[in-house]
Amino acid sequence: MRRFYLIGFLVLMTFDTLTQVCFKLNANHAGPFVADFAWVVRVVSAPWMYVAIAGYIGSFFTWMTLLKHAPVGPAFAASHLEVVVVLVLSYFIFGDHLSLVQLFGSAVIVAGIVCLAFDPPDEGHDERPSG
Amino acid sequence: MTLLVAVFWLLNVTFDTGGHLAFKAAAAQPDAGDGLARWKAMAQRPWIWIGVSFFVAEFVVWQAFLSLIPLSQGVLLGSINIVAVMLAGRWLFAEKFTPMRVIGSTLIALGVAIVGLG
Repeated sequence: MRRFYLIGFLVLMTFDTLTQVCFKLNANHAGPFVADFAWVVRVVSAPWMYVAIAGYIGSFFTWMTLLKHAPVGPAFAASHLEVVVVLVLSYFIFGDHLSLVQLFGSAVIVAGIVCLAFDPPDEGHDERPSG
Repeated sequence: MTLLVAVFWLLNVTFDTGGHLAFKAAAAQPDAGDGLARWKAMAQRPWIWIGVSFFVAEFVVWQAFLSLIPLSQGVLLGSINIVAVMLAGRWLFAEKFTPMRVIGSTLIALGVAIVGLG
């Protein structure tokens, strides 16, 4: 079960991160929002948009597979590792500024995920008696 | 915080939590089988569509919410969703509150709030 969660969350993080990075790449391509048709055309004409949508679909199927066994409360909490991954990648890919407070918050998120990883999965795998 | 911001915040927590619970209900049907049969069974039952409807509603509410406050504050206030899903999971699916789960999820909610502060 540990392996199922590990692979599942890795795949989920990959899809989630891919989606966010592609949305940003697409936004950079389209430029700042203007209420005209040309902006909409720029948004839908770049391939990034479609990679982002594919990432959403991948996330959905991965998440529904994880939820077959995973308790939704801790799983939803753990999915917030995405915040950390996207923060770090936005620094390297887009040169975004990271504040010390953000780095500290990221460390707290990672500490929380380490705690969840140490939660014994078999004991924790409960839900409905038959599930 | 204005009343309107508070209303959108409350709606956001409600739709997000509702969506996750509906998805969990869809995913955890013990008689749904495996593989393709499981996906077909999920698509034929209402839970997954109820979940999708909640998330569509949340999308609209989130946009409205972010039109009134900065994204960082949205992330900060949105960290409460983690607590809400955790509590609702215990209430509706009898998910256990092991010490590691409570500490881990609380740290994650705090961490997300701190990132929002930064």
